[in-house]
Amino acid sequence: MSNPTTRQVNLPRRTYEPPKATLWASFAALLRWELLQVGTMLPLIVVVQAMLGAGIVIGFGFVIPDIDESTAMFLSTGTPAMLLLTIGLVLVPQAVSRMRLDGTFEFMRSLPVPRSLMLAVELTVWSAIALPGVAIGVLVGQLRYDLTLSIHWPMLIGAGVLVTVMATAIGYAIAVSLQPMLAQLFSQVLVFFVMLFSPITFPASQLPQWFQTLHEFLPIQAGADLLRAGLASQIYEAGWREAIVLLIWCVAGVAVTLRALTQRK
Amino acid sequence: MNDILTVTGLTRSFGHVVANDNISLRIPPGEVVGLLGHNGAGKTTLVSQLIGLLRPDEGTIRLGELDAVANPAAARRIVAVQAQSQAPLDGLTARAAIEIACRLRGLSTSQAKAATRTVAQELDIEAYLDRRALPEGGGLSGGIRRLTAFAMAAAAPTPLLVLDEPTNDVDAARRRLLWHAVRRRADEGAGVLLVTHNVTEAERIVDELVILDQGKVVASGSPVEIRGTRDSDLRLELQLPFTEADPTRNGSVEVTPPPFASRVRRGRNVILTLASVHAAQAVKWANALRSDEVIGGYSLAPSSLEDAYLAYTSANKDHNQFDEVEADV
Repeated sequence: MSNPTTRQVNLPRRTYEPPKATLWASFAALLRWELLQVGTMLPLIVVVQAMLGAGIVIGFGFVIPDIDESTAMFLSTGTPAMLLLTIGLVLVPQAVSRMRLDGTFEFMRSLPVPRSLMLAVELTVWSAIALPGVAIGVLVGQLRYDLTLSIHWPMLIGAGVLVTVMATAIGYAIAVSLQPMLAQLFSQVLVFFVMLFSPITFPASQLPQWFQTLHEFLPIQAGADLLRAGLASQIYEAGWREAIVLLIWCVAGVAVTLRALTQRK
Repeated sequence: MNDILTVTGLTRSFGHVVANDNISLRIPPGEVVGLLGHNGAGKTTLVSQLIGLLRPDEGTIRLGELDAVANPAAARRIVAVQAQSQAPLDGLTARAAIEIACRLRGLSTSQAKAATRTVAQELDIEAYLDRRALPEGGGLSGGIRRLTAFAMAAAAPTPLLVLDEPTNDVDAARRRLLWHAVRRRADEGAGVLLVTHNVTEAERIVDELVILDQGKVVASGSPVEIRGTRDSDLRLELQLPFTEADPTRNGSVEVTPPPFASRVRRGRNVILTLASVHAAQAVKWANALRSDEVIGGYSLAPSSLEDAYLAYTSANKDHNQFDEVEADV
């Protein structure tokens, strides 16, 4: 039997108002938790995402015979959006669904954790995973098709942040609103929609008119166009309309997520 | 009104099922209160409402002066819960898991490290602190995982500690250490709500007991009060031969049966609770039954809390066909 141990560091007394963790301390603790859970898989996920970035540029190139420079430019500058959207809309709901199935989600909800931080941690981890892939995708595009980009940094960074937050928030909202199995199924459907039925790597003019109209209100084309304009500002244009569409989807995603996280059944 | 937890008239239904039916209970600082009940008695529903994961239909929950129903985020700082399900530790070392829990409860990095060391010493799990829990139950055994989950709840000081079956999977030696750790937290001023269906273990540690059955509080009080009229009550267990009728029903011998407070039938055993003054008569009656071969054998022992618990929870039951009970305690 061990004796009652003396505490080396003074802890707050139990009957007192318990201390409140700072936002930063909670964020750091949750981030540590998430990273440890992903563990040794993390480098592998980053490498796979980077390969996907390169793969989209090269692979879609095979689909188009005798690819000309403007098509190559369109394809290469669409790659970042493709990666960010698939991560946010597909990998995030799958990861959050797994957290719901293995009990992590409910366990975290029982702790004194500001709910918005759960979303913020997910956003941070997946942004870190996405960034190398985005950079490599763009780089491979430049080398493969000998392209010259004209980067507009404020537009590129702003668009990158908006697209990432929007996609992660919507992905999280899907995961917390639907049953885990249903969420995973839905995210599978979204992969196809984003990769094949969205004007990211091809111009919207190739779609039927009604589909073009639909995409004007969805965040996919808006995000892709905004990123494209940031990468090749001398060729492509995008502006407030796209930013506003993205912002509305962002707010909706965050609102649905926070509502689901704070909801008491 | 210095209670750490005051629950009044708490009611919560799921569809037609009333999981918590007008529950009231209180936990003063320094006390361990046991919440006993069968599976589905409504224990977990009650705990989920304390930390704002479920909203009550009616009733109030006060943590000190705080209205926990109106301020769930503040409630979660005051209440630390060890859930019945295993904590999701995969990928984490026990040390990382406990430190993270401490940091989320507002301890500084050095306080979190110190609190982790202290609780690991208390539970004798220092040797496992740096071992990593792996998926599919690898790395750390179920017992160490359970103790780690306890440590995650109990390392940082909180006014109220809620433990849901904390000793499941834990070995006998560490079980004892865990109970000491629980007692110590109460002695330091915390209130402890111990949720369990392990009556025998609860008896040794709790100051107060609340027995929940089908969502209702059916009894509450100290273990002595719950156990029966007095601490000196006896339990007479009669073992019936195969297919034999209950001798307490049909007056099969000439000796008068002793007056008893409760009767529980479990399979081929009939358990009677009686006052100690009737011991001699009980033995005489049981001997007469045995010599007439109405019973195969009997035993007389001090009554246990479990007997009283079964008498309370089986009284209006049809789900447990093995128990047939009359209680008058």
